[in-house]
Amino acid sequence: MESNIESLMHGFGIAITVQHILLMTIGVLLGILVGVLPGLGAPNGVSLLLPLTFGMQPVSAIILLSSMYWGALFGGSVTSILFNIPGEPSSVATTFDGYPMARDGRPSTALATAFGSAAFGALVGVVLITLVASWVAQFALRFGPPEYFAVYFLAFASFVGMGGTPPIKTLVALAIGFAIAAIGIDTVSGSVRLNFGIPELVKGVDFVVAVMGLFGIGELLLAVEEELHAKAVSSKIDWREVFRTVVGLPRYGWTLVRSAAIGCWMGITPGGPTAASFMSYGIAKRFAKKGVRFGTGVPEGIVAPEAADHSAGTSALLPMLSLGIPGSATAAVMMGGLMIWGLNPGPMLFIDQRDFVWGLIASMYVSNIVAVVLVLLTVPMFAALMRIPFFIIAPLIFIICTVGAYSVSNSYLDVVLMFGFGVVGYLFKKASYPLAPLVLAIVIGDKAEDAFRQAMLMSKGSLGIFFSSPLVTCLVLGGFAFLLVPQLMKLVRPHRRRAGLEPTEI
Amino acid sequence: MISQRAIEVTTAVLTGMFGLAVVVSSTDNGIGWGEKGVDAGTFPLIVGATIMFGSVYNLARGTLVAHEVAVTWPALRRVAGLFVPAAIFIALIPTLGMYVASFGYVLATVGWQRKLTQWKTFAIAVATPLFLYVVFEKLFVVSLPHGALFEMMGL
Repeated sequence: MESNIESLMHGFGIAITVQHILLMTIGVLLGILVGVLPGLGAPNGVSLLLPLTFGMQPVSAIILLSSMYWGALFGGSVTSILFNIPGEPSSVATTFDGYPMARDGRPSTALATAFGSAAFGALVGVVLITLVASWVAQFALRFGPPEYFAVYFLAFASFVGMGGTPPIKTLVALAIGFAIAAIGIDTVSGSVRLNFGIPELVKGVDFVVAVMGLFGIGELLLAVEEELHAKAVSSKIDWREVFRTVVGLPRYGWTLVRSAAIGCWMGITPGGPTAASFMSYGIAKRFAKKGVRFGTGVPEGIVAPEAADHSAGTSALLPMLSLGIPGSATAAVMMGGLMIWGLNPGPMLFIDQRDFVWGLIASMYVSNIVAVVLVLLTVPMFAALMRIPFFIIAPLIFIICTVGAYSVSNSYLDVVLMFGFGVVGYLFKKASYPLAPLVLAIVIGDKAEDAFRQAMLMSKGSLGIFFSSPLVTCLVLGGFAFLLVPQLMKLVRPHRRRAGLEPTEI
Repeated sequence: MISQRAIEVTTAVLTGMFGLAVVVSSTDNGIGWGEKGVDAGTFPLIVGATIMFGSVYNLARGTLVAHEVAVTWPALRRVAGLFVPAAIFIALIPTLGMYVASFGYVLATVGWQRKLTQWKTFAIAVATPLFLYVVFEKLFVVSLPHGALFEMMGL
């Protein structure tokens, strides 16, 4: 434990420099911007920033990108509360009670409750990472290819079993991601795979292209379909009220702790922030005291989704750092960045890249504070941005996504692919297929396949290697449990419907 | 209007076709156990087959979905209002280049709404490619496509 604290202090030394605080500020502001704008979200925002980071030190780059992630998480709540428009899918549940409270003349209370709970959730997530990540990494150092494949299997199985979307739809989304990851040169044999007769596909399909289309264009099409009207409530901040609300937050201590715990769990097993916030809201509703009417603007209804959303978003970085498995779509994009910067996500990071890992972890403490302060200060500014009519913003976002996809490898084919992904994203959303597993599979599909093939080489083609040691057997059985137990529960209790739990994704 | 059933069925058919393409394409790379271990086509074959079987299941489930409205006509018109100009914009990029195409795209879509004065519309349409030029060509040194038409003229 003690060495963790030492490492963290070492990390603070790296994170707290003028340059890094500046990067945090820029990252958080850009994050709030993409969080506020419907159609642009954290995954696209981080993808768009990726090319900017190529010349940077990896630790500076990850601080910029992760700060953007925190900013986006906060920004999404601002529009949820003030406009009843979730800027991010993960802040949908915040609209249920946040908007009614703001509409009843208490916008400062609603915002402060949201930001306070969010900060608490994030803090729990970072503390968890500080205490556990290096331990998990140390444990994972023992992993060989079979163990790695088993861990990937566990991650994907938990998506199918617990994602909240129909399991077979999740499975199809995952498999499509794997197929897309396989396009291009096979790393083991060097042969070209799945180019479907298009020679240019040899270079493969970059995950950034997929993210721009699936999340950017797909969300944009959904936003125009739903015809969002920004009916803003006053965005004036009453600082005294903010202070009073934050001081009063411990009253919801139990809700806070429970929501943060749900968030951490959903972040580490890749359920992601969206599923976490819905689940937390649903559970808070079920455990609510009599007389607390959810949906009318009760504080618990803001505390629960916000704390879970942020703790899930933060702890999604834990498996990314220590195992090389991202816990959310945005974490997947960041992990893609790590690989581009020449780092190998996984347990070796804690040994080879100590400065990087602990610099990032320490920066998460600082940048979340920066984010809370900045988001409070800039609420009126970003609220004004929402008054720009959507028919002007929509084509601009479309152009940004187009240019973002093109600039990945200066290829027009990528632009066409992005547009195709956009249509798929829209259809998938309408038919409640999850998008996050698809992106995750694109990013780590190759690694999962390589692990499988290396394991097979070790065992000369026998699947028995996945049951050859207690550790790998446990992992594989755990994967099957994640996969099957939720389905069995449904069979056993078919009539039990969970309040407030809706099919979600990310 | 478009029913939920139509969306479910369309999506399942599309994913199924993709799965089929993956399966067919994977056979080029060899399936099963080769001299270098698991052959390159094996994993795509399994994945493709999974997509196909999943799609058949989703298709069957999709046809059972009630005929409820998923997208109303006015909503569909709004979606088309974004989709069609965007598709034309993308189709024009190779000839006109990113800058001219985005100028025309913004001018057309914002102008179509007739909610802004002509001056404002024009200003936004000019500002967009200018912004792209400064940020990408100058700041990031990423060359956006200038378009075949202008390359012919030597620009």
